[in-house]
Amino acid sequence: MKTPLEQALPTTRRGFLQLGLMGTATLALGSTVATLTGCTSPLEQNSEYKFLKPNDREFFAALIPAVLNKSFPGDISHDAAMKITLLALDDLIYTLQYHNRSQMRQLFDALSFAPIRIAAGASWASWKDMSPKQIDDFLVGWRDSMIPQKRMGYVALSKLIGICWYAQPASFASTGYPGPPTKIPTPVAGKISVSSMSAENS
Amino acid sequence: MANKVFEEIRGITDPILEGISNGWVTLDAGEYTENATLEADVAIIGTGAGGGTTAEILAKAGLKVLLIEEGPLKSTNDFKMDERQAYKDLYQENAGRMNKDGSMSILQGRCVGGTTVINWTSSFRTPDQTLQYWGDKFSTKGVSKEEMAPWFAKMEERLNIAPWAFPANENNAVLSRGADALDIPWKVIPRNVAGCWNLGYCGTGCPTNAKQSMLVTTIPSAMDEGSQLLYSARAERIIMDDKKVTGIEVTALDKNYRPTGITVTVKATTVVLAAGGINGPAMMLRSKAPDPKGLVGKRTFFHPTIFSFASFEQEINPYYGAPQSIYSDHFQWDTVDGPVGYKLEVPPLHPGLTSVLLMGHGEAQFDELNKLPNLSSMIALLRDGFNEDSQGGSIELADDGSAIIDYPINDYLWEGVKRTHLSMSELQFAAGAKAVRPAHTEAKWETSWEDSKAAINKLDYSASRALVGSAHVMGGMTMGEDLDQCVVGSDGKYHYLDNLYVIDGSVFPTSIGANPQLSIYGMSCRLATGLAEKLTGKKLS
Repeated sequence: MKTPLEQALPTTRRGFLQLGLMGTATLALGSTVATLTGCTSPLEQNSEYKFLKPNDREFFAALIPAVLNKSFPGDISHDAAMKITLLALDDLIYTLQYHNRSQMRQLFDALSFAPIRIAAGASWASWKDMSPKQIDDFLVGWRDSMIPQKRMGYVALSKLIGICWYAQPASFASTGYPGPPTKIPTPVAGKISVSSMSAENS
Repeated sequence: MANKVFEEIRGITDPILEGISNGWVTLDAGEYTENATLEADVAIIGTGAGGGTTAEILAKAGLKVLLIEEGPLKSTNDFKMDERQAYKDLYQENAGRMNKDGSMSILQGRCVGGTTVINWTSSFRTPDQTLQYWGDKFSTKGVSKEEMAPWFAKMEERLNIAPWAFPANENNAVLSRGADALDIPWKVIPRNVAGCWNLGYCGTGCPTNAKQSMLVTTIPSAMDEGSQLLYSARAERIIMDDKKVTGIEVTALDKNYRPTGITVTVKATTVVLAAGGINGPAMMLRSKAPDPKGLVGKRTFFHPTIFSFASFEQEINPYYGAPQSIYSDHFQWDTVDGPVGYKLEVPPLHPGLTSVLLMGHGEAQFDELNKLPNLSSMIALLRDGFNEDSQGGSIELADDGSAIIDYPINDYLWEGVKRTHLSMSELQFAAGAKAVRPAHTEAKWETSWEDSKAAINKLDYSASRALVGSAHVMGGMTMGEDLDQCVVGSDGKYHYLDNLYVIDGSVFPTSIGANPQLSIYGMSCRLATGLAEKLTGKKLS
């Protein structure tokens, strides 16, 4: 299904490329507007999250069950599964280099801003109020889009959520992965890691 | 549910902890509270296949060596076969490094030992055709088959490289079985292991010290000779005075890879750059190193890697057993410089990484991951850099000075991607797969080779539709005597600076056409031996 933005597209290859670049500009603009108009919330003080702001978490909380489907919440409670996935996402994005981290920030800020959500092919409704069907339509729309940046966004979002969940032991029962062997470390001079050892040496 | 390959691993020594306990000088730059200066005869930037090999040779020649590593120092006790920990601790960008347009994801190490800590142990000599091409097209000297053979032999012995002696796991057996059925030749992969447990966790750091990575071989040997190791330390730029490098400015990083604000200055008579084909050129660009033809960071190659999934009635358990043990070069050398050739291999499938490779979401992806024990995958590694339409990527700098990898997948490569989907699909059905799906967002599971072939022929080959990955970073600092194409001499010396040597996979003028670690070891052994002889005035070989 084509979004209104795509229906307005010229159909030449050159046209796609041009719109592709415009797509990036739109996201960047949306991100700026969202920040300036106060549409995104700041990271709370003393939050256990280092990067994901309340808006970002609301966004991921909507996407996570849609991406992970029946594998989620695995053999733990919904709340516990949501929490470990969000914390894993937070830690992963926080430790990216500045350039990639700021691209993520732009994307999340833009998607928290309703006019950009519409332009991006999602619903006007906020992420937490969207139905599973609306979220799936958004994901499919980005996946199958003629605009390379949207496809890239789809791959990035689905990959992030996938790796942050399927690497969790709570998901193993849903994949049939028996898990790794248990590693029992061998202490050296009473220490089991370089960090514990060098802290003592210094 | 299937059983675990082993319930428990215990009683394994940790050579790094033992070394530190015995007095090695390992310095965590992240713990420095004020700026500092360190001195050495030779500073080596990077501790992977190039830096590790070089460190051992120079240290044994009696030189005072300082190793500088951006990543953390993790060791055997830390290797718990846990994807959550491993990607953060051991991989660039948490295993999520991408090219500029997002069409290719790149797995590369970031830890002491570099990619050798997390690679899948496949060890091939540089193919004769590749060596010949370098000599012919780039005037690279000393790299003929005959000249390189002793260096490969030396490193094969050093790292215990031999064809895998145990039966292939089921995932790899799909490739040999399919190839037999289609009368396609295949071979057993040589691996750098000693006493391998056949676990399947090479990619998360070997928990048993079997993999002969730099972390348990050359680096301990260099440290025993009195070398120093500075880690969590990013070489920001080289400091130059006319045609000489006088020092290296190093940024200290905390546990989250963020700068701590501390700078360490390293003074060394000779500097070896061994930071790989992405970060090495980026460091040169940040330094504004002399480069009159603008060639630094050009001709970067990746072996763009294409995936095909197959579902079987029987259990494959694709996460267990030596990850790579079978390969076929049947589609590799029809021509050297014509349509892109490729090597066929198999990847291990652990659930986190597999979810990424399947590129999907929702019920369709759940149905695939739900049958992980019965899933198999094949990969094709495109041999890039041998054709006028395959000139490689270029390294650019982002605002923060980090590397951006501009490597678009062009039509020359897309044509190859499609051919690999066809050959892998045919092989998987020939091996008895009940359904096959190429890793492509439009592709569905097909239940016969005929249907699969028809479907592949209708796919749209463009960015973020077909999955393209890479685990091999090569080029960017081309080696040879032709100054219109090369920035590094055949002895490893940077053409425009007197005491800077480049010793790693970045010097390759093209991709290798095989997993590159032994190519890097052999080339580094040759270059580092020459450098040691030059610096000490003693004959070593």
